[in-house]
Amino acid sequence: MENTSQDIRQLNEKIHQASAFVDLLNIELGKVIVGQRYMVERLLIGLLAQGHVLLEGVPGLAKTLSIKSLSSAINAKFSRIQFTPDLLPADVVGTMIYNQQKNEFVVRRGPIFANFILADEINRAPAKVQSALLEAMQEKQVTIGDTTFKLEEPFLVLATQNPIEQEGTYTLPEAQVDRFMLKVVIGYPTKEEERHIIRQNLNPDGMTAINPVINPADIVEARKLVRQVYMDEKIERYILDIVFATRHPEDYKLQKLKPLISYGGSPRASISLAWAAKSYAFMKRRGYVIPEDVRSICFDVMRHRVGLTYEAEAENVTSENILSEILNAVEVP
Amino acid sequence: MRRTTVKLIILCVLLGYVLCPFRLLAQSPFEVKARTDTDRIRIGEQLKLELTADLDLNSMPGASLKVVFPNLPDSFAHWEVVDRTGLDTLGQTNGEKHFKQTLTLTSFDSGHWEIPPLKFEVYSTRTDGSYDSMFTQPIGIDVGTVTVDTTKAFKPIKSVRTVDWAWLDYWPYMAAGAGLVIVLFALWWFLLRKRKKKEPAPEPVSLEPVYDRTIRLLKELDTEKVWQQGNVKEYYSRLTDILRTYFEEQFGIAALEQTTAELLQNIKPVTILNQQRDKLRSLLSLADLAKFAKLQPSPEEHVDSMHKAMEIVEWTKPAARPAEGQGLPAPANGSGNHTKQ
Repeated sequence: MENTSQDIRQLNEKIHQASAFVDLLNIELGKVIVGQRYMVERLLIGLLAQGHVLLEGVPGLAKTLSIKSLSSAINAKFSRIQFTPDLLPADVVGTMIYNQQKNEFVVRRGPIFANFILADEINRAPAKVQSALLEAMQEKQVTIGDTTFKLEEPFLVLATQNPIEQEGTYTLPEAQVDRFMLKVVIGYPTKEEERHIIRQNLNPDGMTAINPVINPADIVEARKLVRQVYMDEKIERYILDIVFATRHPEDYKLQKLKPLISYGGSPRASISLAWAAKSYAFMKRRGYVIPEDVRSICFDVMRHRVGLTYEAEAENVTSENILSEILNAVEVP
Repeated sequence: MRRTTVKLIILCVLLGYVLCPFRLLAQSPFEVKARTDTDRIRIGEQLKLELTADLDLNSMPGASLKVVFPNLPDSFAHWEVVDRTGLDTLGQTNGEKHFKQTLTLTSFDSGHWEIPPLKFEVYSTRTDGSYDSMFTQPIGIDVGTVTVDTTKAFKPIKSVRTVDWAWLDYWPYMAAGAGLVIVLFALWWFLLRKRKKKEPAPEPVSLEPVYDRTIRLLKELDTEKVWQQGNVKEYYSRLTDILRTYFEEQFGIAALEQTTAELLQNIKPVTILNQQRDKLRSLLSLADLAKFAKLQPSPEEHVDSMHKAMEIVEWTKPAARPAEGQGLPAPANGSGNHTKQ
């Protein structure tokens, strides 16, 4: 059904009211997380857009603290799975165990049965464990024995990868990385932020507790509104231009990128970009998407979906470099 | 004496009986011959062996005969067959039919060798298939070796003889080379032409100054009454595109590839443009709402947006004029209209 200007105005007002919790969440998380606003914002985008987030950053950047705090603020269940080479799929999804007293097998649910999952160092576990997790992420359900269990909504997986240790790791295949809506690269806090972190950690009263500000049901409702955010045809074309420029850069006067790209974004990239742009607009308390929304989340949606050639790697060209070139070449509507 | 005469008569009678078959043979309707052109050759030298067969058809009226010449192998009894002609029918004269075949023979063994009797066969095709056969007379041939004068000294081995270079000897190679060059040239020319076709034609360079063109385009947009016809989105798209193109060409800001927020940020270094920042922000924000949120601004806002655009361009005119004088890049095309619908 075609949206009229009146519909969009009403939707805008509705979203303006409904998205007020975003500010509340930011305030609450700000009590314990110093800096890392970018990461927290991306986590919320993933949460609202029903996508999962792959985090890349060195240890000690408050990755665990962020997602734990987020789950506390939303009053949701949180699980942390440390991925190791000897981890088994059953350790993630659960298994059947024999109950001697009852003389029957009963299901023991794994840590995946939570709203927020932190899959720490996902690339340390072998492929079968990774695929078990990724399957659960995609299907939002797991099967143990003969029984299939639906995972609770909201369900958000935050997987982390350590970029500095590659020995003894199982790199995620491109097809599985593509299942993550966002790949967020986080850096060190600033000097001032780190000074706050020291003070906060050495506080004699201990860390401030996070109070729940919303419920998981509110997130589910917010997701419905995110879906309704108006996206104009011009924005859709802009998204497609960006994704197609990663596949056929020569069509966008970017012939020099052709030898650097081995493969471009998949249709899932276009979908994710549209979803994430809508979520971003929602978080900015708007009922419509503007080009800024697309550009703001473009790097996080696209960086793991652009394959680099050996030539690019030899020249130290990153996917971010390529995306910058593309964004500077594709006309904004 | 009488007894002697009787003995002679008896002897003659006996001789007559003995010679009777030869007499009959001489009267045979089928006669074959083998004849060589020489009876002496040097080793390796060739000789011609002519085989002929004559049939007397008068003696067998109504008969239909077929002659089969001897089928010599390529090599036989010190002889090699070098060449053989086909069977030649010489024609029919006075009821006689003549056949001929010539073989070229050679021998590489010295000595006196005999070409053996060769067997001819004649079939009667109208009868029961019975045949008669006849043989040629054997022919002796002397095959001599080359005489070597042993009294003389050995002669040295002759050096390699050089052949005079002649154009005619190499013409096939030259023709092939020339053909290859022509084919390669044609291929190169074809590819060059194809590539030239692919290359887009250079866009015509407009001599109209950027400022003048922008003002003209804004006036055209105003007179076209786009928003009055209900095309609000198109109106704001064209309006902002004209302005962005102006900023890009006049101030070197990649405005067409920037969002509103980025553009407002990037005009800061351009003082004269930055002075109109609020006006520009108001215009671009309203345009964004019209373009992306289906906002329907009031007619006053449409008019006001046009005035603001004109004012921004007019305000930057002093900067635009010297910049044009310094030879800033001319617009990509004459219209400068980047309407995106």
